Amino acid sequence: MNIKIRNTFAEITGASLAMIWMWLNLTEASLMTIQAVSKVLAQGIGGSIILIIALHIIFNILSSIITGQYEEDIDDERDKIFELYALQVSSAIFGISIVATLILLGWFNLTIISGLIAITFAGFIASILSLLLKIYLYR
Amino acid sequence: MFKNKIQIENTVRKLRFNNDEMTQQQLAKEVGVSRQTIVAIEKYKYTPSLDLAFKIALAFDREIQEVFFINQ
Repeated sequence: MNIKIRNTFAEITGASLAMIWMWLNLTEASLMTIQAVSKVLAQGIGGSIILIIALHIIFNILSSIITGQYEEDIDDERDKIFELYALQVSSAIFGISIVATLILLGWFNLTIISGLIAITFAGFIASILSLLLKIYLYR
Repeated sequence: MFKNKIQIENTVRKLRFNNDEMTQQQLAKEVGVSRQTIVAIEKYKYTPSLDLAFKIALAFDREIQEVFFINQ
């Protein structure tokens, strides 16, 4: 497994763990205030960033210990193209999700809390799907 | 005439071996890309930009058409 796939795995793991954590803390969302829901979402987003950085470091240290050599992470034109593809996919998914959420909010007269949660989770899902696309391209 | 996608092939692997068995890592370092990009180019999975194609040709001291060509 090369460094690009390893780092992408770290990002998927971090985002997935943050999503699971948020899901577990939002099981009673209908009874929670908007401040409490926003706090969980903000903590989840912040936590995912910290978790991804930590996993990057852990994965690379483990890889260096196992293989016995340090692999330099060089970003070149191929990485930029793949990054662009991933960005296009995540933007499309996130954009469609936002429109769908807004329509459903009005249609079913849902609370603003539901919209907030749906948009945040759509962002995470869009990010995870774009990262899976990157793994497919790097394979 | 050129509406269909063209397959650009290359002689990078052959040139590496003819060049004191240069490793993919050495070539990658010389042209400033990752080793994975050189692997992808050699397997025809990735067509480099003109800039990178020239850098690779220069690394082997060859003309670009000697390194990259269209398979017809």
